[in-house]
Amino acid sequence: MKTATAVDADSVLRCEDLAVAYGDVQALHPTSLAFAPGKIHVLVGQNGAGKTSLARALAGIIQPQGGRFWIKGREIREGSVGLAREQGLDMVHQRFTLPPNFTVAEALELVSARKFAGSFFSLKGLRDAWRAELQAAEMDVSPQARIRDLPIETVQSLEIVRALASHAHFLILDEPTALLSPAGVERLFARLRQLRASGVTLLLILHKLREVMEIADTIAVLRDGRLVLPPTAVNGVSEQKLSDLIIGESAGDLAISGGDYARTEEDAAAINLALDGVSTRHSETEPALSDISLRVAAGEILGVAGVEGNGQRSLVDVLTGLMPAGAGRIKLLGNDVTGLQHHQRRSIGLRVVPFDRVAEGVSLALPLWENVTIWNAQKYRGSPWPWLRIKAMRKAARAALDAFDVQYDSLEQAAGSLSGGNMQRLILARELAEQPQVVIAAQPTRGLDFRATQYVWGVLRQLKRAGASILVVSSDLDELFNLCDRILVIRGGKLVGEYAPPFEMRAIGDDMIGALR
Amino acid sequence: MRDWLGTTLRVSLPIAVAFALGFILFAATGYDVADVIDGLWQGAVAAPGSLEQSIRWAIPLAIVSLGIIITLRTGEFNIGAQGQLMLGGLGAVAIPLLFSDWPVYAVIPVAIVCGIIGGALWSGIAGALKVWFNSDEVINTLMLNFIAVLLIQWFTTGPFKDDSTRGENASTPRIDRDFRLSDGTGVSDELIVIVIVVAILAWIIIERTPFGLKSKLVGSSPKVAAWQGLQIKRIHIMTYLLAGGFAGLAGALEVLGPSGRLVTGATPTLGFTAIVVAIVGTLRVPGAILAALFFGGLQAAILFLPIVTNLPSSGLRIIEGLVALLITAQFIWRRRTRARAAEQSATNDDLDEG
Repeated sequence: MKTATAVDADSVLRCEDLAVAYGDVQALHPTSLAFAPGKIHVLVGQNGAGKTSLARALAGIIQPQGGRFWIKGREIREGSVGLAREQGLDMVHQRFTLPPNFTVAEALELVSARKFAGSFFSLKGLRDAWRAELQAAEMDVSPQARIRDLPIETVQSLEIVRALASHAHFLILDEPTALLSPAGVERLFARLRQLRASGVTLLLILHKLREVMEIADTIAVLRDGRLVLPPTAVNGVSEQKLSDLIIGESAGDLAISGGDYARTEEDAAAINLALDGVSTRHSETEPALSDISLRVAAGEILGVAGVEGNGQRSLVDVLTGLMPAGAGRIKLLGNDVTGLQHHQRRSIGLRVVPFDRVAEGVSLALPLWENVTIWNAQKYRGSPWPWLRIKAMRKAARAALDAFDVQYDSLEQAAGSLSGGNMQRLILARELAEQPQVVIAAQPTRGLDFRATQYVWGVLRQLKRAGASILVVSSDLDELFNLCDRILVIRGGKLVGEYAPPFEMRAIGDDMIGALR
Repeated sequence: MRDWLGTTLRVSLPIAVAFALGFILFAATGYDVADVIDGLWQGAVAAPGSLEQSIRWAIPLAIVSLGIIITLRTGEFNIGAQGQLMLGGLGAVAIPLLFSDWPVYAVIPVAIVCGIIGGALWSGIAGALKVWFNSDEVINTLMLNFIAVLLIQWFTTGPFKDDSTRGENASTPRIDRDFRLSDGTGVSDELIVIVIVVAILAWIIIERTPFGLKSKLVGSSPKVAAWQGLQIKRIHIMTYLLAGGFAGLAGALEVLGPSGRLVTGATPTLGFTAIVVAIVGTLRVPGAILAALFFGGLQAAILFLPIVTNLPSSGLRIIEGLVALLITAQFIWRRRTRARAAEQSATNDDLDEG
């Protein structure tokens, strides 16, 4: 099967019937497509549509189960990362690969395909070689800086430098904007356009339509592992058609509701959650919180916006009791909880959706029902014998999972076997099944597809209508705009701005990065 | 229970390999392997009194391993059962020695409880160091073993010195026959009943209490547990106290049962073999009981074999060591691959989302 696209003739990268499977799961059905040189190609699709699988197969990270592909007309067999790089194809991952404890020069030398130093080298020689390379890329970063001390945006740029140093002419970037501030996205896009001008072909995996329309020369859409739109010039597709293609059915009822700003009429709604002058010590990754005061009323969703690493994590930690407050008071449903531990705050009525569902949200190895019920297992103690009634636990878990539409085969399956969206639903089922009055949701839709995102938002809105106070911490402004009644901006551990609808992207974005207006 | 066949295979394969390697070694160094196999069978099962000996060793192994299961499930690698066992013995032996005028029905329960407390306190030291100073439990429990040996040495050459013996092993005097739970064979109805009750109790603690399930969550993902408000420090302390309590109980039964006194340097490998028993038993109570019977048999055979063959008992220790090595390697490898697989699928999924 050949896709007869206009760019087929002189494509820089072409594949035929490329297929990827993980075990029984066909991530990518046989797919044929070609990319024209010197353009910015964008690949879009929902969770599990196969975008990353396609990109990884091309970059030699995973072995495809079938199909062939060519770089500049030369066929690549038995792909490997080294071989792909040799052919000038490189990939910048969603999670960066530079070792955090290395200096910039060391890290780049380690992972770059092109070695500047030999087997024996002086640190100075190494530094100088990479300093030149960094200067050529117009990057203002010392080769002696430690990777872990650098902002995410810089690390991403270093990944690009690393790829270009080995003369990559085809660069794949997997969700490069996921962790960036709006201004960071603009800088990245400017840089990508620069690269295009210098003849590099780019393939971006993106999931925000606004970004897609802004940067793309051509757009390709994957759905359920199948190519539903081969690379097509951007002016040939409307945003509406694109979103239909991505979702695969009429997106009508799923469309963004455009904000649910109807505040509850009771102006004097109870303040369920209040922080007064809360300060903390700085953490390993974030600045200290200083003098944070905020209130969340019943029936209100309050958003906290900010570039990651500006104190969001500390804020959630101090709210949940995972980190002590150095000064100030925290009130929860009328109780002073400043000195209380997390489990005590939970018993008052606090629930949390953690930042990272894989590392903090579910125990991957434990079965679903245990993941839902263990935290308050004492509730299932029997009488007269005090041991646990496992049947009651399983029943409660099943009810919660079903109420939140988790797709699963068996209560015994390990939580690690769930997809990201289902894992997040499991967390919601655990945390929200009892209609809590105060909820802290940290990055509740990160990495989720359109439909799963809508679902999570719907659940939070419903809780709000039922009178809950919800604090949403997110670096995704679209999410906050869609969800929140008010938005606070956190920067450098301080709350620097408060916004009410209609929200203005530019103003909040500037506030997040501290730009002068 | 669905995959019991797979589990059995997974456990028996390393054991079979260990024996095969051991036999190859024996054959290569000039021993008659058929003789050794026959001696093993005789020593563990067939010879008169040998089955009893196997059970005699299975009893302490089973009890100690139950405590180790609890620590391993909580993600703590407590290798101090040996020291905890000795402290349990010390706690237990003190009561009949100091209060020999008390009635039997008071001395035995109090001695058992003191044994449990002795073991729990010894293990609690490592637990407290871990919880409050985040100091490594492997080092601490290991070091506490040495301290325990010295402590016992001091007691058996000082306050509890037995003046009647002149052997190289310092020991306490024998306790009164009335206070014993068994004779020198180490098997009695009382002991068997105690083991059964303790095993059921352990099963309930592990599988049917909030503590049991929560400790599993703490062990498999501590961060996740913290985000759900589990009191991790409390669970850790509890874990150590329980593990030490089980080991201490085994120590108490040892001095009240077969030994009848506390001997410096007695049963030097029991606490370590019990770790292997816990792992071979796949960290489950019924599995640990079966594994304890197996290793009890091996222990009995180790003591029997030099009598009927010219193979020194250290020969069988090699097999025991190989089993420990292979099982542990397989255990860690499985844990890692499973963790990696889980992470992989989660990552794949995460990366695939757009």
